[in-house]
Amino acid sequence: MTACGMNSAPVLSVRNVSLGFTDTTILAGVDLTLHPQEFVAIVGASGVGKSTLLRALAGLLSPQSGQVEIPTANTSDTRAWSMVFQAPRLFPWRKVRGNVELGLEGLSLSKAERRRRALEPLALVGLDELAERWPHTLSGGQQQRVGIARSLAVRPRVLFMDEPFSALDAITRRRLQQELIALRRRTEAAIVFVTHDIEEAVLLADRVMVLGNQETGQPARVVETLGVDLPLDERRDHPDFAPLVQRVEAIIGNY
Amino acid sequence: MIAGLSRAQRTLFSALGLIGFLLFWELSLRSGLLPGSLVPLPSTIPGVLWLEVLDGIWFDVVRSSLSHYSVGVLLGSSLGIIVGMSAALLPRFNAAHAWLARLLRPIPPLAWIPFAIIWFGINPSAAAFIISIGVFWINYFASYSAVYSVDPGYEEVARAFGQQRFLARLTKVSLPAAAPGILGGLRSGLGQGWMTVVAAELFGIPGIGQRMMEASSLLATDIVVVYMLTIAALYATFDFLFMLIQRRLLRWQP
Repeated sequence: MTACGMNSAPVLSVRNVSLGFTDTTILAGVDLTLHPQEFVAIVGASGVGKSTLLRALAGLLSPQSGQVEIPTANTSDTRAWSMVFQAPRLFPWRKVRGNVELGLEGLSLSKAERRRRALEPLALVGLDELAERWPHTLSGGQQQRVGIARSLAVRPRVLFMDEPFSALDAITRRRLQQELIALRRRTEAAIVFVTHDIEEAVLLADRVMVLGNQETGQPARVVETLGVDLPLDERRDHPDFAPLVQRVEAIIGNY
Repeated sequence: MIAGLSRAQRTLFSALGLIGFLLFWELSLRSGLLPGSLVPLPSTIPGVLWLEVLDGIWFDVVRSSLSHYSVGVLLGSSLGIIVGMSAALLPRFNAAHAWLARLLRPIPPLAWIPFAIIWFGINPSAAAFIISIGVFWINYFASYSAVYSVDPGYEEVARAFGQQRFLARLTKVSLPAAAPGILGGLRSGLGQGWMTVVAAELFGIPGIGQRMMEASSLLATDIVVVYMLTIAALYATFDFLFMLIQRRLLRWQP
């Protein structure tokens, strides 16, 4: 189902990226090419640099070396990328709709178009009724849905998600995972998804990229990238699902 | 919050406390426990206030004090907010002004009276200048710490959604996120302004302070009390009105 994106030009090209501070490198040699609608999950032990890598891919941090390329959006009413954070990080001084409009400000859209473009993704996550509410009146799961709507509103080519469900309770997390699976069909965006939950990675992604430290004191690397070739809808019940999760767990355990 | 009292009970006890105090005051004077030359009878105050109003004196002095107050508070608040926010947002400016601020901060507003007179003369500008100094520092520190402690996560959100320009970050993140702190500073500044307004007028600039000095030199303690209460009432009014504005602006808070 992702084959449709394979022929078009990549929306994200990462070549030999290293991350670190002045004289220490924490992560080295990352390569990644992503086409429209592809979904890659980045997993690894905590502290291995997953979130830092995500920020470098988005351009919020500069890599120590290597190249990250996200072709700029060729329309003036979209953005090349956007991000969903671990905490919803909604602006409490803006109503729900105002929060979703944040990324649309500065694009060439009239006020009415901006409003429509904000309500669209809100409806997609089932919250258009709450558009005029203050964020603090929403539950944690609803707030995170608004965060997702905010990132979809700019119609990004690449959507970065930084452990977006890790702060939610188990039931809400499961529901949002299902919603994300459904959402993938309705957006062109390629998704880079950081998580420490291996089951979640295997449940959602086409590819799982495992980061690990081969030797202590050495920078972390991509130790393996696994393709997940299971039907998206019933993965959890698929006989190959649990073995695949165990395999990824074993790989992480080795490093 | 004091436990065990309903709202009505609290109001009742507060009223009783105030009435009890006034009664005690009145009775100690009438019984000769306190000498009448030192404090006026509370029951005479309304009449004295009425006389001051009839003479037009009350309006005159309140009007001129209000004008010193508003100019001083406006000037001190706006400069304090601008300088405080700039210090929090611009590291170079912050470093450049840090020692100067540390040097000037401990100087009390009233210590500026000699310079106020030399620079402005005995006129309303001098009073406004002195008032503005105390108000400035309150707003400066409130704005500085409010902006400085804005969650950097919000900054990252702004950058992730294409709002990386200085002006966009200022108006979309720093100002609204720091608004509770900045407004809190403004409100304490409104109070601080009234504390200095009387002192600033003691050296002969027409206003409430000067009228109080006149009255005290004639031992007219009742007039002094009238103006003490006037200041209390003005402060309460300003504070109440500002609280309404503050609540409106911060209606997004839980």
